[in-house]
Amino acid sequence: MKTVSEKIKVDRLDGKLGMAHFYVAFIALAIGGLAGLLQTLVRSGKLVLPAGIGYYQILTVHGVVLGLVLTTFFIMGFQLVAVSRTAGTFTSKQRMAGWIGFWTMTIGTFMAAVMILLNEASVLYTFYAPLQAHALFYLGLTFVIVGSWIDGAVIISAYAAWRKRNPGKPSPLLTFMSLVNTLMWIIATIGVAATVLLQLLPWSLGLVDRVDVAISRTLFWYFGHPLVYFWLLPAYMAWYVVIPKIIGGKIFSDSLARLTFILFLLFSIPVGFHHQLMEPGIDPAWKFFQVILTFMVIIPSLMTAFSLFATFETYGRSKGATGLFGWMKKLPWGDARFVVPFIGMLSFIPAGAGGIINASNQMNQVVHNTIWVTGHFHLTVATAVILTFFGISYWLIPHLTGRTFTKAMNKLAIIQGVFWAIGMTFMSGAMHAAGLLGAPRRSSFSEYGGAAQAAEWIPYQVAQGVGGTILFVGIILILYIFINLAFFAPKGEEEFPIGEAADESEKAPMVLENWKLWIGIAVLLILFAYTIPFVDMIQNAPIGSKGYKLW
Amino acid sequence: MAQPGLQRKTKIKVEDSSSLKGTLASVFLLGFFLIVTWVGVFYLFVERF
Repeated sequence: MKTVSEKIKVDRLDGKLGMAHFYVAFIALAIGGLAGLLQTLVRSGKLVLPAGIGYYQILTVHGVVLGLVLTTFFIMGFQLVAVSRTAGTFTSKQRMAGWIGFWTMTIGTFMAAVMILLNEASVLYTFYAPLQAHALFYLGLTFVIVGSWIDGAVIISAYAAWRKRNPGKPSPLLTFMSLVNTLMWIIATIGVAATVLLQLLPWSLGLVDRVDVAISRTLFWYFGHPLVYFWLLPAYMAWYVVIPKIIGGKIFSDSLARLTFILFLLFSIPVGFHHQLMEPGIDPAWKFFQVILTFMVIIPSLMTAFSLFATFETYGRSKGATGLFGWMKKLPWGDARFVVPFIGMLSFIPAGAGGIINASNQMNQVVHNTIWVTGHFHLTVATAVILTFFGISYWLIPHLTGRTFTKAMNKLAIIQGVFWAIGMTFMSGAMHAAGLLGAPRRSSFSEYGGAAQAAEWIPYQVAQGVGGTILFVGIILILYIFINLAFFAPKGEEEFPIGEAADESEKAPMVLENWKLWIGIAVLLILFAYTIPFVDMIQNAPIGSKGYKLW
Repeated sequence: MAQPGLQRKTKIKVEDSSSLKGTLASVFLLGFFLIVTWVGVFYLFVERF
């Protein structure tokens, strides 16, 4: 039986704004996915790219288009409609700002994409100095960031308006979560904006000759690690709020979910050094301090795991399940909206385990710059997060387009999820294994002059090619489903599932909405973790490096 | 008439529906997995460095 809230629809005009973001996201998926397939085939040693297209060029396409464009567009689109659905329809001013944000991001994406396609910016998605791209590439990425800030401003303003209308009440959970992710994103992107505007752009324009590599990388990773949580938190939104409703259960605890998000706001930013553990120029003590903070971020993820198990078990037992794991059988294994994100949740277990290993200070030496790391983030963002985004799309796209998710599409969606799981097991599994044997990441196919150690890696690279091919079939399937849901599925109503807390009388503590407090602590932690290392870097700065174009 | 029915009901062994023992087992399994993988790579680290 449907309750009133289930029938609430996202406003049609807000839905259009959301859909605009999703069109770009799925076009990005098509382009980036193809680039990924080509990469795995090149690295298997079985394919040479035609027409002088470089491996590092398609690697840049893959990383930028999927890691930065697909994610940012999907997340902003999802958060906008989630806020519109739970905090109320946007005002026309807010919606207009949303469109300005969208077009700013889109123009930026176009600029960066053109430069990559012209082979003027094959600097990989981390755009590490001293690799030097064309200035328009950096400018394009700046536009993407600025556009996302404008989208973020819409979310902040909608939240503020809701709080004003509902004094003393905790905000709707999805709005709260979208706000936290937006705040984290804004604080984090200040770092990348600083390195691009103050260092890389003037340097690529020829206004300055040299760039301080350590500072630019530090600013990049100040942004780069919270970036991965910016990807993850929307998946957590679906896991905490949407999945309980889809299975017919309840949110284990509303307050716990909010506390988890606050912990992410505090601990996901001052941790960038764990990407630079092998780099010179940073005092090991400060690296270790950030390692400790990194381990703090494990806590909210473990809280999430507990909360999800509890939601599933409580639901299963309410349906009469008995025994230790009887509740597993009661879950809706025929519903793609649940199954596909569930595969994502499962993949997050080895993904998280790998992440803990990566961040374990000197143990990072085992895996640093090996393809293990690539395997790791293909489990996190390219499985846990993206499968959840696919799972969201299965109800959100038809909800916004006034269509339905048919049984046939549901079946295809489950097949898609299975293809993804199999393909990724091959690809990411082989990457992890080859990485432990020392195979480097960010590298085209090479026999390294016939070295015996390099020969060990080749079978794993072939396995990556096999996995990449299976994944590409998965990409074709999801694109087919997306096009169906956007344009061809039968007209009808599709629910926007929003779960309710198990204990309805539970009122989230208002202290969790005290942003002066949380942003204050976040800023203090950032200042503590970064100030002295930055002073060191600036005081002991080398002359800096000229730009290189090695492609 | 109500009496025997009631008695029968009490004889059925009902598992506490609010039990979270499966969750407890699951988080322990998860923790165990994290430890095993970590120790595995730690062993490689000690071997190599």
